[in-house]
Amino acid sequence: MDSSVPRFPVTYKSLSLDIKGNKTDVVLCSYDDHFLVIATQIGAMGTILHARKEEGVSIEPTFNVSAVFGKRDEPMLLACARQLIQHISISGSSRSLVISLGLKDHSAETLKGVVSAVIENRLW
Amino acid sequence: MAREEPDVEALNEEISSDLVFNDEVKDGGGVQITCFSEVVNDVALHFQILRLPKQIYVWIGCDSAKLGRIYAAAPTRPQKDMISVTSILGGASDNTGAGIARRLVLKTGLNIILACNIPKNSPMLEAEAEKMLVQKLIQLGYARAKAEGSSS
Repeated sequence: MDSSVPRFPVTYKSLSLDIKGNKTDVVLCSYDDHFLVIATQIGAMGTILHARKEEGVSIEPTFNVSAVFGKRDEPMLLACARQLIQHISISGSSRSLVISLGLKDHSAETLKGVVSAVIENRLW
Repeated sequence: MAREEPDVEALNEEISSDLVFNDEVKDGGGVQITCFSEVVNDVALHFQILRLPKQIYVWIGCDSAKLGRIYAAAPTRPQKDMISVTSILGGASDNTGAGIARRLVLKTGLNIILACNIPKNSPMLEAEAEKMLVQKLIQLGYARAKAEGSSS
């Protein structure tokens, strides 16, 4: 009877760490066609960015990163998403990334902390 | 919200060992994750509810584990009945899920981000999914049951 209920298909990880004195909750989820990353210090998802790889004619792929919800003029957030989609691509996956950053500050140190926490616990 | 407790830290260590739980609530500090799956008319519906202090993220999967279309919905006025929904990803020719997002804001009073891959033109499936989702949200205490009056 238990086998009639399907297994939940999405792998996910949830962790909490401290970045520059701010408690940061990070959630990573792996869907069929996307990776979802949420990093929040403010209790909400914050700005949501979408990053994808574009296979062009040249050997090296290009990446398209854009903010789809929230602050659209924060270059550090775009840089963070760009680093992660590149890492995903190098690891061999061609899935897109949806990343949501609700951070108290957008300093390089904070973003680096987020990137390294995500890479350390990556699902790709 | 909950402060750092020994239970939560032990749970965090367990979580980082890459296990997947069915139908369980995980608490990674300020985030509560609830996942469950149901079968409706031979279709498997998967639900993932992520509770943040000021927001709720929900994913509804229909058979597949694709992310689907993403909608953001929030109350946009002091009066609780002015809700706006916008499509964040996908959704250009397909609005399946926008209505659910809107009604979730009504029920929870919080900002909602909903990702949904229910196919177009399946109103019965959409309605079933919404019903199960709302039932679970009430069970978890994130939503008010209909019988209760207005929120504070």
